[in-house]
Amino acid sequence: MSKTLALEVKNLSVEFDTYGGVVKAVRDVSFQLNKGETLAIVGESGCGKSVTVQSIMGLIPTPPGRITSGSAKLDGEEMLGLPTKLLNQYRGKRISMIFQDAMSAMNPTMTVGKQIAETLVVHQNLSRRQAMKEAVDLLARTKIPEPEQRAKQYPFEFSGGMLQRAMIAMSIACKPEVLIADEPTTALDVTIQAQILNLLQDLQKEYELSIVLITHDLGVVAKMAHQVAVMYAGQIVEMGEIDDIFYHSRHPYTAGLKAAMPSNKAHEQDLKVIEGSPPDLFSPPKGCGFCARCDYAMSICEQRPTPKFQISGDHYAHCWLLHPEAPKSERQKLDSFMKSERSDVT
Amino acid sequence: MLLEVKNLKKYFTISRHQHLHAVDDLSFSIGEKEVLGLVGESGSGKTTLGKTLIGIHDKTAGEVFFKGQQLPDSYTKNDFQRQAKDIQIIFQDPYNSLNSRMTAQEIIAEGLLIRDKSNLAEVKDKVAYWLHQVGLSPDYMSRYPHEFSGGQRQRIGIARALIVEPKFVVCDEPISALDVSVQAQIVQLLDKLKDSMGLTLLFIAHDLSMVRYVSDRMAVMYLGSLIEIGPSNDVYFDPKHPYTKALIASNPEPDPKYEREHETPLIKGEIPSPINLKPGCRFIGRCPMVEARCREETPALREIGENRQVACHLI
Amino acid sequence: MQDSSLSSYSPKPADFIPLTKQLDKHGISRPSLSYWQDAWIRLKKNKRAISSLYLIIGLLAFTLIGPLLWSINPNLQDLDAISQGPSFSKQALIVETPANWGGVTIDNFPSQPSPNFSGLLSSTEQIEIVGQATTQYVRLSWQPVEGASAYLIYRNDHIPESPEDLGLPLGQTLAGNQVSFEDRLQLNAQAYYYTIIATDGFNEASTFTTQQVDLTLAISARQADLRNIDVEVGATVSLPGHPFGTDYLGRDMLARTMYGARVSLFIGIIAPFIFVLFGTLYGGLAGYLGGSMDNYMMRVADFVIALPFLLFMILFKVSFGIGPGENGIIPMMLALILLAWPGTARVVRGQVLLIREADYIQAARLLGANTFYLLYRHIIPNAMGPILVTLTFAVPMAIFTEAFLSFIGMGVAPPTASWGSMSNQGIRNMLSSPHELFFPALFISITVLAFNLLGDGLRDALDTRMRGNE
Repeated sequence: MSKTLALEVKNLSVEFDTYGGVVKAVRDVSFQLNKGETLAIVGESGCGKSVTVQSIMGLIPTPPGRITSGSAKLDGEEMLGLPTKLLNQYRGKRISMIFQDAMSAMNPTMTVGKQIAETLVVHQNLSRRQAMKEAVDLLARTKIPEPEQRAKQYPFEFSGGMLQRAMIAMSIACKPEVLIADEPTTALDVTIQAQILNLLQDLQKEYELSIVLITHDLGVVAKMAHQVAVMYAGQIVEMGEIDDIFYHSRHPYTAGLKAAMPSNKAHEQDLKVIEGSPPDLFSPPKGCGFCARCDYAMSICEQRPTPKFQISGDHYAHCWLLHPEAPKSERQKLDSFMKSERSDVT
Repeated sequence: MLLEVKNLKKYFTISRHQHLHAVDDLSFSIGEKEVLGLVGESGSGKTTLGKTLIGIHDKTAGEVFFKGQQLPDSYTKNDFQRQAKDIQIIFQDPYNSLNSRMTAQEIIAEGLLIRDKSNLAEVKDKVAYWLHQVGLSPDYMSRYPHEFSGGQRQRIGIARALIVEPKFVVCDEPISALDVSVQAQIVQLLDKLKDSMGLTLLFIAHDLSMVRYVSDRMAVMYLGSLIEIGPSNDVYFDPKHPYTKALIASNPEPDPKYEREHETPLIKGEIPSPINLKPGCRFIGRCPMVEARCREETPALREIGENRQVACHLI
Repeated sequence: MQDSSLSSYSPKPADFIPLTKQLDKHGISRPSLSYWQDAWIRLKKNKRAISSLYLIIGLLAFTLIGPLLWSINPNLQDLDAISQGPSFSKQALIVETPANWGGVTIDNFPSQPSPNFSGLLSSTEQIEIVGQATTQYVRLSWQPVEGASAYLIYRNDHIPESPEDLGLPLGQTLAGNQVSFEDRLQLNAQAYYYTIIATDGFNEASTFTTQQVDLTLAISARQADLRNIDVEVGATVSLPGHPFGTDYLGRDMLARTMYGARVSLFIGIIAPFIFVLFGTLYGGLAGYLGGSMDNYMMRVADFVIALPFLLFMILFKVSFGIGPGENGIIPMMLALILLAWPGTARVVRGQVLLIREADYIQAARLLGANTFYLLYRHIIPNAMGPILVTLTFAVPMAIFTEAFLSFIGMGVAPPTASWGSMSNQGIRNMLSSPHELFFPALFISITVLAFNLLGDGLRDALDTRMRGNE
């Protein structure tokens, strides 16, 4: 089965200038998104997931932000470094984005229907009347009840879940190839989250959407993703097919994230947590970013940046434990920790 | 019983004919050293309940007893001062709950310094001890809130509330604004502290999965009413009320194979507005199994097993 | 299985020893900064705001230290140097205080021309400078011309090219034997070209001669006395120039601008301090009390906003018994303070309402804090930023109000200098000597602009919404 690439990001690095120095928010991030699939980028707040996608969309304010290297190709066409005018031909039309806070992403002085129609008028040269009809249709497709009335309402008259639906309607208005969803359900209640995730899955099938989903919730990842990239301290630490990440994970951070997830089925009474917080990217650690919080850290982890090790097929991880000369005992410890996790969930 | 709530009501007046029924006729109790998890979607009134219990909001009706003593309906400064050593709160928003002009030390020491400013060295030692207790390095004493991450701020908020060694703490969604991995840290921290200090907690959250690790009993709230209450594991692994079932099933399982094989049972619609509620079951608009009775009669909490109560006609 | 491209380093077995030392797990490494330190750093990055700050400091130095360095009496009138453009320091001779000069009269000048007189007047010969030509006076004498009954004296600032280009007619002598003239009209230290033409009452001489006269800057002994220069006549002293020129009474504009700034800045800084303080207390109280009290207090503020400022200014002036043309600084301050506070009160009330609902206030209340503690520990420090911004915007408002009132003659009266009253006087001579309007107007503009830009910068720097958490 051959897969075509919808989005390919290579060696992306982003920095921010602050008063005391440079914050290296994203360091050498590469990932690929296959057509019609979902890539989940997982990580804690401040690990650079949002900055990564914002720089792809050209949403990083410069200054203080700066893309120091890398490329992002949408269906083979380079998007980084394009002037705003050219970028606008991609943004909203071929690649669109939805945000965590739908309220602030919408214009509060314009009806929801008009805002959706606006994108259609700009990108597809529809007349106002046609665009408005299309907007109502889109609201109906995102399962908003009474779309005609809803289209005439303002954002503040919508609940959080409805607003997120309206934003999804707006983002798929021009049938984009790629949809970037930046924590779309973090602010919502679980029952609403389930509705929105289902809607995204339905739309993905209907429009053959390729989705980049940013989240910190492995439950959402398990439901949605085909590919997973785990980010930590501005770098991707492990990447692979969803089953590789969940059942054959090789990175202690991924294992820790999984252990910290509550499970509906397991009856265990204790949560296992990763102690501490991610490092300050103001002065990123010399070696592995996770070193300070890792139970398996070795002296090399503190000193040398971790190379990329291929585990199988598309499954890669950055961890010195994977080095052929690394002591087997430490690796076994990690393996058995992960096995205990796995036995819980089967 | 440490805390007993009888027929507590809290209405907000919106206009002459509109009342928002945030908390509508609630009764429950929390035992000594018990942790009660209070779960519900946003708009269910759980935060209002927590704040009304401890006097931040005035009570519309009903009584609250703490250690057998009735708490005032409307608090004055003296009431707060008297209560400070007994009842505290941990807030949801780690950004709005810390004064950005004060250092971590000043924030944590607030409870001690308000009462007695004489022994600053001892206060400093205590702050260092508490920073350590909540898992932060005492080196961060003189840092400002904006230099901490969300989880770290929440730890500072916990230290501020616990330094006065209260008996009862309302945890008002302390984990809702945090990443899942940080939520686990905070839940674990509170679990540890409640054991070592013998705390009684009302742990408010918007879903059950995390709360069950820390709570002894769980109560589910919907539109100002309790709809189910019982021992944590019983409620979580054997939910009775259709809403509780839906709430638990909506949470995605971190197991892709399971997710592929199981369709998430969706619960339709959203929580309605709690303004001018009509009689009948509150869950009626979203319930998959409505009967004629549900439309006419508001179901009351009733005993269905040992320590378990459910408000549903069909069980 | 190792990706070869990324690992040029081949690890040694020693590298794989488990790490035993405890690393910092909390991940805070950047320097600690308080709110105010952070705001100062952001302000420093704002070039406009910082240059405005320097400008304001410079302005304060200009008013407070300036007069020590530029010790010229701003009220000293020098009628020899009225409405002069900007000039620099120069050497001046002290000369006798000009007394009446008898002039030169030829006694044996024939009342009738000789019979063989052709009737054509010849040109005036041998124009001589009597004494030294200084800016105090130029005294000329010349040889009489036969048949002349009077002489016309012209002055030009360049060599005349034709009989039509003789320059300014200074006057004429009254008789043919009066062969001298004293020029005291607006003399500057430069070269003048004097032309004397003889006339017989009907015809003028068809030819003329022009004499170049180089003038030396001089002040009279009496003027030297007024300026406290204690030197003999004939000595040379160094006279301070007028970098901003002089006004219509010959007063030094630089000194007046310095002193004028005192009035402007005094009102512009003291009045806002008082009304911002009052507005803060009032608005803070209203916001803190809340409810119906807040409602009443803010309606009072609305009422005050509706009062017309100018009317009250006039009312205060009248009730203080200050007539037109007298100094109205006190009523002006009073009117400003009494009428300008509601703006601040509104801002502070809004802030306090916002802060009052913050969770940390609830937390402090639950910890047993009293009202005073809440105010000084939480509410005031958090409202300080917006208060400071209001203050920086109130200052240029007050300065401008003072200038405007003085300009229309309501505020500071002569001889006290203020930028407004200086502009008022300057506008009358705007066309002939624009510097009299330019300098005070420039200073008003720069000051108002600098305070506004600083306020803008402060608002940006103190705005917590713009703080990054990255």
